[in-house]
Amino acid sequence: MSPFTTLGLAASSLIERPLRTLLTSLGIIIGVAAVYAMLSIGEGTKREVEKQLSSMASRSFTIWPDWNRRRTSQSKPSFPFKESDVDEIRNIAGVFAATGSLQRNSTTISTEIGDTAANFLGVDPDYLKSGGQEMLAGENISYADIEQSAPVVVISDGIQKTLFKNQDPIGLSIKVNNIAFTVKGVTTAPDSNISFGGNADMFVWAPTSSARNRVIGGNPYVRNHIRSIRVIGDIGANFPKIEQEINIIMRRSRDIKTGAPPDYRIFSSRGWQERNAKSQKTISYLLAAMGAISLLVGGVGVMNIMLVSVTERTREIGLRMAMGAQKSDIMSQFLTEAILICVLSGLIGLGAGYGLSQISLGSEEIKMVFSPKIALLSFGSALLIGVIFGFLPARRAARLNPIEALRHE
Amino acid sequence: MKPPLIKCNDLTKVYKMGQSEVYALNGVSLEITKGEFVAIIGSSGSGKSTLMNMLGGLDKPSSGEIRINGENLGTMSGKKLARFRNATIGFVFQQFQLLPKKTAHKNVSLPLQYRRPKPDNIDVRVKKSLEMVGLADRATHRPTELSGGQQQRVAIARALAGSPQVLLADEPTGALDSKTSKAIMALLQDLNRQGITIIVITHEDEVAAYAERVIEFRDGKIISDHLQKAA
Ligand SMILES: Nc1ncnc2c1ncn2[C@@H]1O[C@H](COP(=O)(O)OP(=O)(O)OP(=O)(O)O)[C@@H](O)[C@H]1O
Ligand SMILES: [Mg+2]
Repeated sequence: MSPFTTLGLAASSLIERPLRTLLTSLGIIIGVAAVYAMLSIGEGTKREVEKQLSSMASRSFTIWPDWNRRRTSQSKPSFPFKESDVDEIRNIAGVFAATGSLQRNSTTISTEIGDTAANFLGVDPDYLKSGGQEMLAGENISYADIEQSAPVVVISDGIQKTLFKNQDPIGLSIKVNNIAFTVKGVTTAPDSNISFGGNADMFVWAPTSSARNRVIGGNPYVRNHIRSIRVIGDIGANFPKIEQEINIIMRRSRDIKTGAPPDYRIFSSRGWQERNAKSQKTISYLLAAMGAISLLVGGVGVMNIMLVSVTERTREIGLRMAMGAQKSDIMSQFLTEAILICVLSGLIGLGAGYGLSQISLGSEEIKMVFSPKIALLSFGSALLIGVIFGFLPARRAARLNPIEALRHE
Repeated sequence: MKPPLIKCNDLTKVYKMGQSEVYALNGVSLEITKGEFVAIIGSSGSGKSTLMNMLGGLDKPSSGEIRINGENLGTMSGKKLARFRNATIGFVFQQFQLLPKKTAHKNVSLPLQYRRPKPDNIDVRVKKSLEMVGLADRATHRPTELSGGQQQRVAIARALAGSPQVLLADEPTGALDSKTSKAIMALLQDLNRQGITIIVITHEDEVAAYAERVIEFRDGKIISDHLQKAA
């Protein structure tokens, strides 16, 4: 019997028993939809985590002097960092950017319209760029500004809203603790997970030199001091290695003896993000396993129905054998039937799973994505179920004795 | 003399029932020539169906040998036997054995679906077979929409569709009234006159009367084998 005829035979036998076909396929439909949904939730979460891990925030370290050390009355207070530290760190392999900054958390910023408390930072040109911040108007701080200790600032859009009532602030004057600066650019507030206290939208950035000379003041121990250093690694860089190198540089620069505790701290959010990713992965495996189990149950349902069908159609099988059907013809007839029902249900299940994923797109908690790989995987598993669970009933049919089969009531 | 189409030599069939042995066939030797119309009669349990299943390649003897067209059925593989059934034998059963959800046309095409290589004129041959049994106008009917006699005629058309050399009919009139039985037997007689070898099992003398040769079984043995003038 030709494969085409066999397929037609399988199809007509499914059509002749519509209710049974529907009920049998339901298990597979649900199973495939579940596998598809689970895998795509898993994939969505994975991509989300990957996005997080490759974001600037999670690729960055921030190095601060250790405040605790100073408070517990050590003989030597914690020194600030030097600009040369930043230069050295910038040269570590895998470092995308290193930038030093000065900071004063509550400064009063004022214009003719009003005043507000804000974070005031002294930065270099890399700072805003590496923070993933977007220039909305005007220009970034330049190295020339640092050289000349120019009285210019970049402000956050929060400041623009409050102190300029949304008019174009470029070139206008703004006062930081009553010291006049000229607005040079507007940018978005940093999307950082490092807390800036209550003024998360209010930022003013000046060149390091001007911030130091005009507002924050110098340091008695270190010329051209830096309050904190932000280091951003390349995507996929070896972060533990970078951290190790930073430690070597800092210990040498700060003359910390071997074995002595460091007087600075390196902060990174990467650690918990990686742990987070791991637990997300475990959850998505768990979900996929649940989907697989429902598919398995669906498969057992198919096998059950096929066994019933073989028993019910014993006389038909005997007749077909008497008419010259070979064992292989009978085998492929029933196997094709099982595979066909699984494949069709698989397609419907995929559609259902896709529909489900479209619905869940509205929710923020669950991230699902369509990927051909996942579609193929869940569809392939339906096919496999058809082959595996169709095999036993088909073999039973093919092994029937034609005489007994014909006599079957 | 023509060589026999069917030649059975000392056939036995033994069923072991616990300790005892049942001889369904006990030393049956038989020759049937091409074109014969043979009736096999005998009491219930005498081994008629057992013999017929063996002739059709559905069953194998415990000992002895069956040759059809000189070929030994005992040494054929399952695959070859299936081909033999498909090409050489046409079966007609007491209970018709039609597929209830398929049309007469589909039912009749069954042997041709299993023919290798696949014939390209299946529809034509099915129509011709249905014409031969006088049911050309019922091709799209399902078995439930046909009378018993018509169903058996569809079954005969199915047996004919594959152009077999031998038609094996096990009590083809067993489920029919006597008037319909006569019509079916007349049909078989007509087909026999067109050259097909026919072997019919029956209980009824009226049915056996249509045959040219009557073989009687008792307890797995042939007790008489004679020619007669057909009705
Ligand atoms: N599968 C089997 N197992 C055991 N005994 C069997 C089996 N098939 C047939 N027999 C026995 O073989 C003998 C012959 O059976 P067979 O069916 O050939 O009889 P028959 O002549 O066709 O009878 P009937 O006219 O009632 O159809 C019977 O005694 C039957 O009980
Ligand atoms: Mg019988």
